[in-house]
Order: sequence, then C-alpha cells, then structure tokens
Amino acid sequence: MADKDLTIEEILARSRELDGQGEASAPAPAAEEAPAAEAAPAPASVDPSKMSVEDMLAAARASASGESDATAEQAEVPVESPAAADPSKMSVADMLAAARASATDDSGASADAPPAKAAASAAPAEKTESAAPAGPPDTASILAAARKGVQRGPQSVEEAVKTVEEEGGKPAAKAAVKVPPAPRKEDFLPPKPAPVAEVSSRRGFFASTLGVLFGAPLAVGFTSMAVTSLLWVLGLARFMFPNVLTEPPTKFKVGFPDTYGPGQVEAKYKAQFGVWVVRFEYEGEAQIFALKSVCTHLGCTPNWLEGEQKFKCPCHGSGFYKDGINFEGPAPRPLERYAIRLADDGQLEVDKSTKFNEELGQWADPNSFVSV
Amino acid sequence: MHGLDYNEFLSQISGFLCGYYLLIAAMNWLFALYRWKNKGESRLALAWACVGLVSLILAAMSVAGNPDVIRYISFNETIKGGIDALMSPTTYSVGSLLILLVMFRYREVLVRPNVAWLGLNGMMFFMGLSLADQDFAAIVTKPDNVPIVGLIFLLAFFTWLATSKAVENDRRIANGELPLEATEPEREKVLVWPDLVYTELICMIALTAVMLLWAILLQAPLEEPASSVKTPNPSKAPWYFLGLQEMLVYYDPWMAGVVLPSMIVAGLMAIPYIDFNKKGNGYYTINERKFAYLTFQFGFLVLWVTLIIMGTFLRGPNWNFFGFYEYWDSHAVEAMNNVDLSQYFWVGMLNQPLPKPDPDAAFLTKVLVIAQRECVGIVLLIGYFAILPPLLAMWDKKRLFQPMYKRMGLIRYMVMTNLMLWMALLPIKMLARWVFSMKYFIAIPEYFINF
Repeated sequence: MADKDLTIEEILARSRELDGQGEASAPAPAAEEAPAAEAAPAPASVDPSKMSVEDMLAAARASASGESDATAEQAEVPVESPAAADPSKMSVADMLAAARASATDDSGASADAPPAKAAASAAPAEKTESAAPAGPPDTASILAAARKGVQRGPQSVEEAVKTVEEEGGKPAAKAAVKVPPAPRKEDFLPPKPAPVAEVSSRRGFFASTLGVLFGAPLAVGFTSMAVTSLLWVLGLARFMFPNVLTEPPTKFKVGFPDTYGPGQVEAKYKAQFGVWVVRFEYEGEAQIFALKSVCTHLGCTPNWLEGEQKFKCPCHGSGFYKDGINFEGPAPRPLERYAIRLADDGQLEVDKSTKFNEELGQWADPNSFVSV
Repeated sequence: MHGLDYNEFLSQISGFLCGYYLLIAAMNWLFALYRWKNKGESRLALAWACVGLVSLILAAMSVAGNPDVIRYISFNETIKGGIDALMSPTTYSVGSLLILLVMFRYREVLVRPNVAWLGLNGMMFFMGLSLADQDFAAIVTKPDNVPIVGLIFLLAFFTWLATSKAVENDRRIANGELPLEATEPEREKVLVWPDLVYTELICMIALTAVMLLWAILLQAPLEEPASSVKTPNPSKAPWYFLGLQEMLVYYDPWMAGVVLPSMIVAGLMAIPYIDFNKKGNGYYTINERKFAYLTFQFGFLVLWVTLIIMGTFLRGPNWNFFGFYEYWDSHAVEAMNNVDLSQYFWVGMLNQPLPKPDPDAAFLTKVLVIAQRECVGIVLLIGYFAILPPLLAMWDKKRLFQPMYKRMGLIRYMVMTNLMLWMALLPIKMLARWVFSMKYFIAIPEYFINF
C-alpha cells in the first residue's frame, strides 16, 4: 500500500481480488460434498466460529442439497448429520439448514410410510427409524399424516413418484388408478327426500350441504343483496343533501352611505360575508367600495390593522393600503373589489357575483364603487 | 407560556430546567469516563467532569424557581439583545452560509470527538440559559415545536457522524489505504433474517413507545373550528414545508409553489445524469467530491434546514421577523415598502412614469409595452441564466467550471449551472428583498408572471 496515487478503480479491483480469494476458499465443501450422502456431516466438522457468512451459507446449502438428494435416491438418510452438531455452537445458518434438512427428511419418510403395500416392498425397519425425527414435524408431514389417516387423497407429484418407485417402478398408470375419483358434481336439483341410510353416507352429506348452501338460502342471499343495494341508493340520495348551512346571500345591504365617515374601514361584514366596506379616495376621487377579504397571494384572509392603517396577511406578510393596493410582501396584485351600488331604499348593496381587478383597469368601472 | 406571571412561569419551567441540567451533567460524566477509560485522556476527562459539575450546580440553582437565583443562570438583557440583533434576516441567512463554509473549511478539527462534544455542550447550555426567558420558552416548548428542537440536535449528530467518517476516509485515502467501508470487517455481509429484521423490529417497537409517550406528554392543540374568513395569525405550514412557505414570501405563488418545488424534484432526479465523478461510491468522502458535497449541503443545510428553523422560531404574527427573545407582538409595525425593479428603473432612475399598456390595444401591442416596461429585469435574468454560465467557464479555467464544461458538453453544463444558479437565486432574492426592498425582478401581474 505504499503507492499513494491509488485510484478508486484500483481500490475496487483490489477489493474485488480479495473478494475472489474469499470465495475461492469458501465453496469447497459445496462443490465436493453435495452429491455424496455420507459427506453431509462434513460442514459440521469445520469450526463454525471461524467461518464467514458466505462459508456458512455454502455449507448449509451443501448439507441441505446433499440430504434431499439422499432421500430422493432412497439412501439411508444420515439423520444424525445436522443433529450431530452441538446446537449451542451452531450458527443461525446451520440451524436453518438443519431444520430444512430434517423437513425434507420427514416429508420423504412419511411419504414413504403411508401405503401398506409400499411398506411391504421396502425395508420397514429403516423407515420407522427415519420416520421418528428429532425435530418438530413440518406442515407437509402433518398434512401427509392426516391424509394417511383418512384416505388416499390428492398427493404431490413427488409423493406419487415415490410411491410408484417403491412399488417396483411400475408405470404411472397404476398410480393414476390410485387417484380418488373427483366428487361428482351435483346438478342443483331440489334435494330429493333421501333415505336415512344415504344421509349418513358421505356423498349424501355433501349433497345436503350443497343444497343448504345453494338452495333455499339463495333466495335469502339475493333478498339481502337487494335490501343492501336499496340502502346504498337511499344513502346516496341522502348524500345529495349535505348537512351544511346555506350560504349567505351573495347580494346584501351594508347600510346607508352617510354612516361611513371619511377614511373608514368597516370590518364587521368580514366574518359573515368576507368583505370590507371602505370609504376612501382612489385616484383623487372619494368613493365607497367593497374589498374582497382574500389575499391575492395565496388566498389567506388578511386582517385590518387600525393602528398601522393597512391590511396585513398572516400567512406570508403581504400588506395592502387602505385602498387595497399591495405595497409589501409577496402579493402580486391589489385586493379585488366586489360590485357595489345604491339600492332603491338608499342603502348600499354589495353584489359578490361580480369582481373588479385593479391591474386590469376595472376599478374605473362605475359598478365597482359608489361616489360620495 | 404567555399570560403567566413571571414567577408562575419560573415555577413551571424550573422542574424541567433542573432535569435538563442533570441530564447534561450525567452526559458529561459518562463521556469523561469513556474518554478516560478507553482513550486515556485523563486531563480532558477531568475537564468534562468539571463541566458536569457546573451543570449539577446549575441544576441545584434552578430547582427552586427563585427569580433572584435564576437571574444568574440566564442570559442578561444585553446578550439577549445582541442575539436578537444577530437574528435579523440578513445576518441570519448570510451567517448560516458563512457557518457552512467555516464548517467545511475546518471540518478536520470540528469532527474530533472532543470538539464535537464541546459543540453539543454549547448547544445544550445555550438552550438551558435561554429557557428562563419567557418568550424563548413560549416558542421552544410549544408542542408543535418540541420535535423540531429535537430534530436540530439529531441533524447536528448525523452531520457530525457523516463528516467524521468522510474525514477519516479522506485521511486513509491520502495515506494510500482503502476507505473504511472497503476493509475486511466492513465488507462482511449480514443476513436479512434475522439480523436486519430483528433490528427493524426493535426500531419499530422503540419508535412506537416514543410516539405513545410523546402523544401522552405533549398533547396536540385543539383549535377553534375552521372558518373561511378567519386565518390564524401567524399561519404556519407543517414544519417540513416551512422552507417552501419562506420561499413564497419572495416569489410569486406560481413560482414558489409550483415551478421551484418541481425544479427541486427534477434537479435531484437529474443528478445521476449530471454527475460524472465516479468517486465516492459506497463510502463517505469529501475530498474526492468537494463540489457535489458543498452544493448539496448548501441546498440542504442553508436552503432547507435554516429556512425551517427561521420559519419555526423567527417568524411571528403577520409573518414578521422576531428574535428568539422578542415578544410576538401582532401589532409590531414593520415598514416594508416593496418595489419592483421596473419601478426602480423607470421612476427612480429615468424619472418618468411606468409605461402602461392601453387596455383596449391589441394583444401584441400590450405585450410589447409590458416587455418595454420590464426590459431591465428581462435582460438581467437572461444574462444570469444564459450568459453567466459561459462566462464562468471562460473565467475559471483551471479549477471547476472549464474542466466541467469540457467533461460535460454544452447541454449538460448548461443544465447543471442553471440548476445551481436557480438555487443561488433564492438567497440573492432574499437579500435583495431585505436590503433593497426589491419585490420582483420581472413583474407582469397582467398575465400572472412575476419573478
């Protein structure tokens, strides 16, 4: 490591070299020992504490594959191979491998066990010996055991092949005979009054079950579905009439013009209508106008600050003069005006359905203000 | 915390303060023990033990909540005023940039365990000495803000962790060794099950416990029903969006709300296509990727984290700026008359009114008049984005930009520099706002284009 100008490529290459060496030494057990059944205990003889994870995995894989091969070939499986290792010194990988090995063992063995004919043809002693594993049975073996107790039900291809092999390598046709006939489909006729003796038989039981499931209850099912659909439709109809207060009217009176003093900002309509009514000068003309209380930046509601004589938005600090013109903060446009007019009774009437924007020159529109 | 008598406030905070100082003391003693036993630094260990002792004394002083005693263990008004003045927007943002550069320059010193520990102590004592201030406590102990304070400490820790690893790797690489991550013990692979899954399980349980405790201890505030005509003052985004909210103060909503966030995402996605530096794959390093490191830390620490801190602790009612120890007065008058660049140019320099498009004119005429009005800003921005990158490549021949241009080609170089300039534009715009009251470089409210 004397050369200081090591580039990253070189560093990586070196590290890859190291990696390659590690791998070359590691897979030895996997390469040699996989096929031979008697070599299975070998990985346990290596000191697990000195093995790298890669070694452990390789060893585990080797022992696992070795054992499954062994069962397939019907060799006498060395059950002692994983169990021989002291469990307290085993790594997790070893444990997993052991569990896996015993699992394949069990399933193989129990698959061998069930048929009585098979037991006769093969050596029974070894079978019983290997069929009593140290570890807990796995799901496959439990299922197999359950099936054995009841009948020759469907079995996995492996099991079928194994049975055939055990019976002296007879053709698959024989195995096919073993497959139980599929339960005959019922033709959904109303169940005939069956004799009492039939009910107790299995097929009669199935038939009556199917009848209960698909006969009269069909009507119950459809009725309840109809009721549920009806409730859904009613709920949907109710959804169209939500629990909201009706909007305040878009046209409303805001009092007589002479109640507004010069320079007054009336904020009392903000809470209900979202409007400030202002009497102020715009371009030298005294006007009463209605400002929409929505900030032109992002739509927060500004507050009228009497002390500072400005509208100030709490969200990003935009500020507007009393006439609605933006002067500070990020708001790009002045506040908007609503239409305002003198109603027939002499009161001011604000109409929120029309808006007037200053930057579009709409504040000159006579509908946007009332001159005083 | 407001609305309380100062004595009542002290009696409430004193218990927490006492526990806080006890924690600092215990922390320092453990650290001293560790440095002494494992590293044999007996003198430094003694110093840390003394710091712990001081903290113990502070705990004893704060436990009674007596204002006459607590006065001695909190900042006085002069220091508070000084810190508040430092927290003005200009010094705050420029200062955070400078701190980043200083941290980058002196990283080898700053990551040393004892120096980093000093920094942690500094942060914790600053918090402790400030907590007796009612206004500071009101911000920091607000249920919403407590996790943000925790995040600041967490961020400091992880920044230190990554930097110290990078510094160690840089030292090793300079000595011709492999980086730490490429050495044998680090290359050891572990299994997903059980190693990773167990770790995840433990993290999950611990996090659930923390969340439960947090939910019990700091209750979420329940506020009045929402109303379309009433906005809380100040109205703050969730903490992780406070950087975006701060951006919205300086840009048009369309810009800060849509264009810039999309650009952040697109820019991050573009990094693999822009970056031609193959070093630093799988290990921490700074020396081999200085430009990438600084650009990222600028974007993350300065543009994102400090803006979150600013939005959380320094922005008060009406989105005005308040120092740590200032009362959040919703009637504080802050004169900010923002002016567009076009107004500066036409009204300020040429002394004539802004060209105003005739509302009845044809569309093209209006556009031309508006372009004439905003000509300075348009020229400035085109210069910034289109002319500045080639100038940089011509000016900086040796170190950064010209080699980059040669390596990347025109298009990639322009994309890279433009993304960088967009990032740099935010602090530039912030400073322009604060120093020159600059509002928009280009302001076309007629067509919702403001820049």
